[in-house]
Amino acid sequence: MLAEPKLKSLSELVSDLSQEELIWVNKYLTGLVSSASKEELVKQAVVQQRITIAFGTETGNAQRLATHFATKAKQAGLLVKLVGLDQYRLADLPKEKYFFTVISTQGEGEPPIGAKKFYDFILASAPGLTQLQFAVLALGDTAYPLFCKTGEEVDEQFEKLGGSRLLPLQKCDLDYEATAEKWMVNVLSYLENSTKATNPTIASAVAPAASAKPASRQVYEGTILSKINLNASGSSKRTYHFEIAAEDVNYVTGDSIAITPRNPQEMVTRILSAAKADPEKLVTWKKETYSFEDLLVNKLNISFLSDKSVSQYENIYGNTIPERKISLLALLQKYPVNESQLESIIAHLNPVAPRIYNIASSPLVYPGEVHITVLEEHYLENGEDQEGICTQFLKEKEENDTVSFFIQTNKRFRLPAEDKDVIMIGRGTGIAPFRSFMAERDATGAEGRNWLLFGEEDFTTDFLYQTEWQQYFNTGVLTKVSLAFTNNEEEPFLIQHKLKQQAEEFYAWVQAGAVVYLCGEKDPMGKEVEDTILNIFKEQGNFSDEEAAQYFEQVKKEGRFIKDLY
Amino acid sequence: MAEQDLHKNDKAGNGQQEAPLTVVEKIKTESRGLRGSLQESLQDEITGAVREPDHALIKFHGIYEQDDRDLREERAEKKLDKLYSFMARLRIPGGFMKPEQWVAAHHIAGKYSTGVIKITTRQTIQLHGILKSQLKPTLKQFDQVKLDSIAACGDVNRNVACTSNPYESPLHTEVHAFADKISTFLLPKSRAYYEIWLDEVKLHEHNEPDPLYQDRYLPRKFKIGIAIPPNNDVDVLTNDLGLIAIIEDGELKGFNIAVGGGLSTTHGNPDTYARLATVIGFVSGEENILKATYEVLTVQRDFGNRSDRKLARLKYTVDRMGVGGFKKELEQRCGFKLETPKPYQFTQRSDRYGWMQDHDGNWHYTVFVENGRVTDTKDFPLKTALLQIAETGNANFRFTSNQNIIVSDVSVENKEAIQSLLNQFNLDGFTNAASAFRKNAMACVALPTCPLALAEAQRYMPSFITKIEALLNKYDLQQDGIIARMTGCPNGCARPYAAEIGFVGTATGKYNLHIGGDREGTRLNYKFRESLDEDGLLQELDALFSIYKNNKAADEHFGDFVLREPGLIPIINSQTI
Ligand code: SRM
Ligand SMILES: Cc1cc2nc3c(=O)[nH]c(=O)nc-3n(C[C@H](O)[C@H](O)[C@H](O)COP(=O)(O)OP(=O)(O)OC[C@H]3O[C@@H](n4cnc5c(N)ncnc54)[C@H](O)[C@@H]3O)c2cc1C
Ligand SMILES: Cc1cc2nc3c(=O)[nH]c(=O)nc-3n(C[C@H](O)[C@H](O)[C@H](O)COP(=O)(O)O)c2cc1C
Ligand code: SF4
Repeated sequence: MLAEPKLKSLSELVSDLSQEELIWVNKYLTGLVSSASKEELVKQAVVQQRITIAFGTETGNAQRLATHFATKAKQAGLLVKLVGLDQYRLADLPKEKYFFTVISTQGEGEPPIGAKKFYDFILASAPGLTQLQFAVLALGDTAYPLFCKTGEEVDEQFEKLGGSRLLPLQKCDLDYEATAEKWMVNVLSYLENSTKATNPTIASAVAPAASAKPASRQVYEGTILSKINLNASGSSKRTYHFEIAAEDVNYVTGDSIAITPRNPQEMVTRILSAAKADPEKLVTWKKETYSFEDLLVNKLNISFLSDKSVSQYENIYGNTIPERKISLLALLQKYPVNESQLESIIAHLNPVAPRIYNIASSPLVYPGEVHITVLEEHYLENGEDQEGICTQFLKEKEENDTVSFFIQTNKRFRLPAEDKDVIMIGRGTGIAPFRSFMAERDATGAEGRNWLLFGEEDFTTDFLYQTEWQQYFNTGVLTKVSLAFTNNEEEPFLIQHKLKQQAEEFYAWVQAGAVVYLCGEKDPMGKEVEDTILNIFKEQGNFSDEEAAQYFEQVKKEGRFIKDLY
Repeated sequence: MAEQDLHKNDKAGNGQQEAPLTVVEKIKTESRGLRGSLQESLQDEITGAVREPDHALIKFHGIYEQDDRDLREERAEKKLDKLYSFMARLRIPGGFMKPEQWVAAHHIAGKYSTGVIKITTRQTIQLHGILKSQLKPTLKQFDQVKLDSIAACGDVNRNVACTSNPYESPLHTEVHAFADKISTFLLPKSRAYYEIWLDEVKLHEHNEPDPLYQDRYLPRKFKIGIAIPPNNDVDVLTNDLGLIAIIEDGELKGFNIAVGGGLSTTHGNPDTYARLATVIGFVSGEENILKATYEVLTVQRDFGNRSDRKLARLKYTVDRMGVGGFKKELEQRCGFKLETPKPYQFTQRSDRYGWMQDHDGNWHYTVFVENGRVTDTKDFPLKTALLQIAETGNANFRFTSNQNIIVSDVSVENKEAIQSLLNQFNLDGFTNAASAFRKNAMACVALPTCPLALAEAQRYMPSFITKIEALLNKYDLQQDGIIARMTGCPNGCARPYAAEIGFVGTATGKYNLHIGGDREGTRLNYKFRESLDEDGLLQELDALFSIYKNNKAADEHFGDFVLREPGLIPIINSQTI
């Protein structure tokens, strides 16, 4: 179609272009065709900047925000590379110009698992990043003592490595939408200005959104109405059902509660005596004064020290300590220190973190109460059986004892419209929120179908809330139940295997618009279930790998695959 | 068809023409050949139980749904359903197993059930605690060694019992073969068992014709026992149909036929009673014997009470029709007359413990198994011992109606090897050490699995016997082979009414005390005291043993003595107990 010379110069031109430039040209030409004035387009082309938006996420919030941000940036005419930090090529970092990080904090002030490699890279061995112009949007939760810790660290480290901060670190609490939106607008307007002007305005010129101050959450003083070990004798597990009354407690079905445990007195006593420390001695931590004992019992994480805490211990002890992720007591026993050393060590310990428990009751059915399902946690330390701090703390509570907690809203984890179908997949305590879902749907007479997929060890001893499910099933509220119990099977038989057996029906439900919930243990259950679902889509939909992934993406986008994994 | 059947039911003249059929009757006729919704029940994941109507149907497959009653309360609080599991009772006519079958049973029990193999009072074995999801694998594995549980329960002919010990007669094999023949002959024709449990592909669309059972089966369970006098180990007269082998001049002439035995009573229901079978005649020739047997069932099928399961056993049918009336109907259906009964005599019911040599020279060792529970304990690894014996392949296994095992058909050459295993595991020692009283005693299953139990039985009997033994020692009666039996309720599964001393549970820790049955099993006992606790029972026994010791005639049995001794049992001439 083109005359020879034109064609030649065009192919010369494009042969040199990078992938991204090609895309841009493509857009440019399309724009031309769609009749915008040439002048306009040229102007746009001039301001077009290339930016990278990288996200680190555990439960998808950061990803959602980053994606939204990318869309906005594209609309503003920017060339955008959107990438998950789990996929990010570390070698690209020194080449980046504009680099925006959206990252959440997990665990006890730790990066999301997928972002760990990136995080370690920049904290340890990253090259100079003098070309880098960055801004960080940090997601977190003020309920955690180390609020937005990872975002803070990434932000600091970029600066240390020579990068220039375009905008101050923006921290977001769980109600991140408005704050995040504002941050995005600021970033985009900054970028616009910077491309117009020859000297970009410095970051501080743009007012940061009001930084979220640790919101004072309402703390409820709950009274334990009942405590039942749901597992029958003979089970290898103990899963406690708690019913806790708290006046005016306000939550929505799908929310969780957070409980900050106290450390076991016995552990504290042993720590103090190991260092020959006086329990009554007044010590300072974060500018406040406590007695040694009070601090250890009520404030500090002493059971599972972070890398950094151990490093501090190492410094004070004065010798290398190979262990990581160890308890203070174990450290003391192996690497003894005296009272004053202990005092300095303690100054560097993290606060004890609240533990989250999904609420297993519906406020419609039990107003003024929250029910939770707590698995007694066990692990080995030095080959010895240890009990988890919070589960031990709760287990020792008796009826009429009090426990304080606050509500952890879980906006993603909501029931759909009443006529929508629901598939609930969970292992062990993952069943907890589904109990609240069913109670709610029963109470409201929601007409959507409900399918429970539950897995545990033993049908006879571990079918949590069995009689309640039976009742929902017999009255027709619960449409279908699929169970996977590992015992009594020759091969390991888990919830994902059960799901696979039900592939056709599962797909049909999803096709018909069902919302899929997945709750419980993250690893390996959560991952394996997700892989299984992808496979089911592929097989049932006769899709290629790519199409299946796309289909799954679409389902997720529509908010029909909702996880709460831990 | 149904209409005609109803009409026949009326013909029974039970004055209950209008009485509606029981729920179970409806379940049976609607069951499509005992299939019901069992397939669906097995798929119901949310519960360990089967659906309501299948509860009755699954029994026809030899399986009972049960739940651990000890755990009900705890589980309810934990929001857990009852701990449902299933008991499977095998069909083993005459209680005979090949060694490889025992080996299989041993492993199946270990894998799918509580591990305990329970020898029943009708010569078969039961496995308890099988989960619903494990039923198919269990029955499939039994099938691999040609064992099944078809019709081991339900309103059909049950496991046919037969005198166990080949030592009893040179014709034992011939008589024993009848047990097998009758059992096979009277099986329901439905292929349901094979389809449901063994995944057989459906051949018929649920309408295999079954001339005997039709679509309604019998009104109630039906039991057949075969005895070879002089041993009445099977308690032949407690069966709906008893066959007493008549052997003359070393030849099996035929059988005396006795009808209408049955033991169960219901506390507080005066219309129920225990009854020993009435001998009504003699038949000879295999064809006639099978025919007569068959027609006893059809009379019961057509005349039995289908409106009240408490009054549905053959014994009530016989009494309602009158023995004469019953016999007439039977002869008419047979097309021949029954001959006059031949004389016979029973002299014993106990098992012959230890080694016995039969007429062909083979050896049989009867092992004492307390209450039929085969399991390993620290001191007494019975289950392991029997496994090792079975693994030699040199002994068959026979179960006795006294809940014991005979390691049998051991050739002369193999006897020593078996003996050394008996010694090694102390089976010999254990059998010898148990007192005669303990060895003759029986107890039913009762708690925790039996849903009908009012009181303990097999869990309690061993320690209770220890206390009774102390009393017997006191009067130097330890070698007196008094027959005592205990049940957890008045259904009478360990035949306590046919014992010299019977303990019949009425409530937790409480038992009625029955005395006065004879040692040979031809006379029922009498209720002597009601609802006594352990102390009360022991006091009564102490007093009774004391008079017995002082006043008995030489060789007089306890059961006979208490009946003769004035003032102990007031109503001599009534069978009401
Ligand atoms: C295992 C056994 C007792 C034992 O310790 O050995 C037994 C156990 C039960 N018997 Fe029996 N009966 C057993 C021999 C008997 C006998 C004795 C006999 O047949 O020689 C009797 C009395 C004779 C008779 O039938 O009259 C007997 C009369 C009953 C009855 C009352 C029947 C009636 O006519 O009313 C019931 C209840 C019922 O059927 O409704 C019953 C019911 C039961 C059940 C199945 C309870 C139930 O219906 O749910 C018991 C199961 C308990 C468990 O957990 O295992 N069992 N049952 C015996 C199995 C025999 C077999 O292999 O088939
Ligand atoms: C969103 C969310 C929802 C949740 N919902 C529920 C719920 O509904 N029900 C529920 O039971 N749980 C739930 N959890 C988990 C819960 O919050 C707690 O994590 C859990 O109860 C364990 O807490 P713990 O204090 O008893 O154990 P911790 O003491 O915190 O120990 C936890 C684990 O850390 C490791 N560890 C700790 N100390 C050491 C050491 N010294 N050496 C080596 N390893 C160590 C072990 O692996 C141990 O198992 C949820 C978690 C999240 C994030
Ligand atoms: C197990 C767990 C631990 C958490 N720890 C912290 C923490 O230490 N500090 C913090 O600020 N937020 C913490 N959070 C809150 C998350 O950062 C917050 O929920 C965020 O919105 C999650 O974003 P994501 O979905 O992109 O991972 C934690 C959340 C969970 C589930
Ligand atoms: S006698 Fe009663 S308690 Fe004992 S097994 Fe039979 S039905 Fe159960």
